[in-house]
Amino acid sequence: MHESDFAAAQAFLLGAKNFWTTNLYRELRYKYDRRIDKRDAESLTPDEAVAELEGDVTYHFFGWLERHLQRMKYTSRYGVIPYHSERRDTLTQEAGFSLQDEYAPVLNPGLELPKYYKSIDIHQHQGGLWSEITAGFAYEYGARTTTPLLGETHEDLHKRFTEYVADGVDFKRILDLGCGFGKSTRPFLKQFPTSAVHAVDLSAPCLHVASQFARKNSTRNVRYSQQDARGTNFDDESFDLVTSTMLLHELPVKSVLQLFEECYRLLQHGGRMAHLDFYILPDAFDRLMHYGHSKRNNEIFMRGVSELDLPGVLGKIGFIDIKIERFQEGVDVDLDAHEAWRFPWTAISAVKPRRAAA
Amino acid sequence: MNPQEPPHARPEQQFFEDPAIDRLMGTVMALATEVFVLQSRLRALEDRLGEGGVVDVANLRADSEDQAQQAAEAKAYSEHLLRPLLGLQDALGPTD
Repeated sequence: MHESDFAAAQAFLLGAKNFWTTNLYRELRYKYDRRIDKRDAESLTPDEAVAELEGDVTYHFFGWLERHLQRMKYTSRYGVIPYHSERRDTLTQEAGFSLQDEYAPVLNPGLELPKYYKSIDIHQHQGGLWSEITAGFAYEYGARTTTPLLGETHEDLHKRFTEYVADGVDFKRILDLGCGFGKSTRPFLKQFPTSAVHAVDLSAPCLHVASQFARKNSTRNVRYSQQDARGTNFDDESFDLVTSTMLLHELPVKSVLQLFEECYRLLQHGGRMAHLDFYILPDAFDRLMHYGHSKRNNEIFMRGVSELDLPGVLGKIGFIDIKIERFQEGVDVDLDAHEAWRFPWTAISAVKPRRAAA
Repeated sequence: MNPQEPPHARPEQQFFEDPAIDRLMGTVMALATEVFVLQSRLRALEDRLGEGGVVDVANLRADSEDQAQQAAEAKAYSEHLLRPLLGLQDALGPTD
């Protein structure tokens, strides 16, 4: 596959996704609003919302394009999977995958990957993020166009979340769960350059790419390791901040609960947990879009997480100062405008109580 | 299952009442991608010819276009291709 053909095909798919994100979404929302204007939009279930659009051709095309533009991006003739597979040897060599230096990730070849992780090709990423050594490169490329209106690196999103979490606190020991190829970790490294940062993920291919970034930037205050976020090998009370970005919705509900328990164990008393994910869905149309995306994009656990009683769950574990807030992912984003498709970004944070004075 | 298909293949999701439309859409979009790739190649060729030099195919294929220009053209091309999916009139006409 020629570079220029790959670039042209991916540019077209991105252009098509832009059309889907804006023109098609707006038309669908307009039609939906017209149909339900005499009913209580807040109380509709997703199934009732679907019924409103059942038989609507625009809705059919919306769903088709959501699923198949992603399929084409990944596995078509010009997809990111074949593109990176063809370049396997060059990519892994240039990235220093064989190096065992201070930047190399700590891998655990004996780690048993969870069944949920292997049973579905998440995001329609053929073979998942674990079965092919170039999967990290493919994911890094694919993630650039996940939400086209946010730009290639989603820099604004991650920077805004890091600043939201920091909120004037100088965290010293930080853990990023489900770090992938390090996109969520790097803003924390920048925000806290003298802190000790650990980042874990199940995917060895992604951790290699994350380490490549660290090596390239001579970033020495981070250690990437292959671990299951639901049960890591860190000691109790090892961190004053435990965070994740876009991880919770990729886990079954039972695993989410295990993860929160693990966060509590890992936090020092007075430490903070903060997750950026998808949770608050203001109306039935938002629920329809989110649950539909869940199925169409092979992210099948989204609905379960969205329907969790998070304040209740976190309170039961022992967390206090629980905050669950809609998150504005970009400076120009109007959360209520419905001008373009967007994820229901939500910041979820809580604190492990300080020890009571003796 | 088609014996040619890999063992993990699962039935694709269906969005239209007639599954033939789902499958034909796949073919239409694959062709649309090929057209855009060809357009990009042709434009690159025209650029080289316009410069008055001798065309070198290897070089032609290695060089990618200006990204911003390509993105703008992809956006316009996609709107041209996909606007019919909205089912809206370009010019005001009878509604029934």
